[in-house]
Amino acid sequence: MLVAERPSLTSSVSADRSSSSARPARPARADRAALLATLAAKRLDRTLTTALPPVDPSDALAVGATAVPAFDASLGGFPRGQLSEIVGARSSGRTSLLMQMLAAATARGELAAVVDALDRFDPASALAAGVDLDRVLWIRGQVMSHPAAARDTNQKALEQAVKALSLVLQAGNFGLVAFDVGEAPADALRRLPFTTWLRVQRMVEGQQAVCVLIGAGPMARSAAGLTVNLTIARPADGRLFDGRLFTGLKVEARVIRARAHRHEDVSVRFETKST
Amino acid sequence: MFSSPQALVPGLSPLFGALYARPSQGSTVSPALLLEIAETFSPRFEQHRADLVSVDLRGLDRLFGTPQLVGEEMRRVAASRGVQLHVGIATTRTVATVMAIAQPGLSVVPAGGEAAALAPLSLVLLEQIDAYRPSDRVAPTPVSATVAGMVATIKTWGLRTLGELAALPAADLSARTGRMGLFWQQIARGGDARPLVPTRADERFEGTLELEWPIEGLEPLSFVLTRLLEPLSTRLERADRGAAALQVSLRLIDRTVYARRLEIPAPMRDVRALRTLALLDLEAHPPGTGIDSVTVTIDPTPGRILQHTLFTRPHPTPEQLSTLLARLGALMGEGRIGAAVPVDSHRPGAFAMKPFALDHTAGVGRRSSVAGRQKSIVDSPEPGVRSALRRYRQPVAARVAVADGRPVRVTTDRPNWGGGAVTTAVGPWRTSGEWWEGEAFVSRMSVLSSRPSGVDAGAWDRDEWDVALADGGMYRIFQNRVTSQWFVDAVMD
Repeated sequence: MLVAERPSLTSSVSADRSSSSARPARPARADRAALLATLAAKRLDRTLTTALPPVDPSDALAVGATAVPAFDASLGGFPRGQLSEIVGARSSGRTSLLMQMLAAATARGELAAVVDALDRFDPASALAAGVDLDRVLWIRGQVMSHPAAARDTNQKALEQAVKALSLVLQAGNFGLVAFDVGEAPADALRRLPFTTWLRVQRMVEGQQAVCVLIGAGPMARSAAGLTVNLTIARPADGRLFDGRLFTGLKVEARVIRARAHRHEDVSVRFETKST
Repeated sequence: MFSSPQALVPGLSPLFGALYARPSQGSTVSPALLLEIAETFSPRFEQHRADLVSVDLRGLDRLFGTPQLVGEEMRRVAASRGVQLHVGIATTRTVATVMAIAQPGLSVVPAGGEAAALAPLSLVLLEQIDAYRPSDRVAPTPVSATVAGMVATIKTWGLRTLGELAALPAADLSARTGRMGLFWQQIARGGDARPLVPTRADERFEGTLELEWPIEGLEPLSFVLTRLLEPLSTRLERADRGAAALQVSLRLIDRTVYARRLEIPAPMRDVRALRTLALLDLEAHPPGTGIDSVTVTIDPTPGRILQHTLFTRPHPTPEQLSTLLARLGALMGEGRIGAAVPVDSHRPGAFAMKPFALDHTAGVGRRSSVAGRQKSIVDSPEPGVRSALRRYRQPVAARVAVADGRPVRVTTDRPNWGGGAVTTAVGPWRTSGEWWEGEAFVSRMSVLSSRPSGVDAGAWDRDEWDVALADGGMYRIFQNRVTSQWFVDAVMD
């Protein structure tokens, strides 16, 4: 059926181009919109990855709630059986959101696994967030801190962590699997084969697990089901601290990629409180 | 120690049968045949003497129905082999045995009716069942040698039945006959003097394979292990047992025996899981030379009964989890996987690790959970998202410019670590601890900064600052008060 329809698409596009030479050139944006409309009409605007049925945010079996009320109200949570991402710079609230997700998952009675590639997990913070640590399998990467050795060692730690992630996903039946490479150097991440994330996505599909990558920037690209970018808003008065206490972060979570198209460009704001 | 019929819980009571082959007109039943008949029904049976066997019938009601039907089936099987058996069935072994000896045919005593069933029987029966009680295991006194005399004594008191003996006041009976009298009174009341001791020894789960040619490496060994484990797994399944421990003994070409023993955290008999665990262990601890012979021994334990539920998500099975943990341990190294445990210490970032539990109660979290398909909100003490830290397990050495006693610029040698001017700084918080450990305090201070935080003990003394930098990051930094060195301890994220 696709083969049968492609000529008509080509013809419509070429007809559009031939006609454009006779009349004044239309803006490029209009051309793109017309092309997208044609693709949508022919149902060719989705790749095989995005052709999966969209996730119903009201279905608790299809999404894993984060226990962040604003986030869950907008998105329902992170989709199960898909590879999701929480990305952002340092101090953007990624870890706080992860801890909240861990707390929610363990409160539901699920088991969680944290593949901590660079060994940054703080059990005290997790405890303060309400995480049941007995239900969290913590896999700690081995990292050397010597500056001269850091690069190669981090690469090895990342590759080990990817293997560990694969083992955890193959075991199955975890409610939440987090892969934390938030502090990993960008070049070390780029050295991982791109097929890594496609393979991980294939392993997650059909499982009940929420699989979430924590990083400084998007990694999974087209393999990702939901990518949320976190930024923080500085207080107008510049005060992040109240006396001797850190007051918390005002986090804005913006969906920058979603398999369910209606979630694209959704933006959620929430605040973190100091422990 | 007697277990009386009254102590048994209705519905959950054990069920015993006694098979008695009465000798008739010079013909006797072969003891082996009697054992064979008993083994047809249960692996747990005890031979008291050549013509008397008691059998643990617990669970057979699910197969045959009522105890009456179980008894009839036992007699039918015996008859098919040319043996006429008298069968007694009751909730205690004593009652079943006495009834089998005392009454021909099938006697079934319902739970609670033991005393009434024994009451009209003659005291002379005590002499007949004397051999049933192994005197070497129970009573230090040679009761069996005097039971006839004791029965004669009791008869002089005018007693004739077991019911009358059972009704005597225990204290008075003890004063006149000693422990022996009390013992036989308990028998007359239907109590068991000891648990059933199976005649057949526990099945040994062991397999050996002699190799024609020595093998080296784990890949060929995996095939050998599979071949050994498969029949053992089948036997475990038949016996409703799981492996509690797995021992792999390898006889090497240098005539030495290399043995590895694995304690299995949860009873399992899955061949793939057991083989994987054994291989992963041998991968971490390989034998030195080629292997001539492989022996696998399994310590059995009662099987695991799982009740699944439709309302909670399934957890990984203990087999899956133990295999996963073994694989992760081999990949990441010992001590790098598990569950975090808070420790009773003020040391920043202190924690401990413990093995990840294999058996979690599904659907029960420490916190409250919202049932059904509703969204769950964590019932934390103070609702809201808590700010979290990312710890540098080994603090990052930093260069900190200080003005008026406050940090104004923080940089490090890390290539991907921004740093820059300090926009906000709060502190210092002075923390110290374990300085009371004595003379080692000063010497230890020099290595504090490179010590993995929280993993081991040692003194610390430092001033902490929380700083926001111009690059957008917020960090917890500290100055070692002994060495005056600065370090980045954590990122607020």
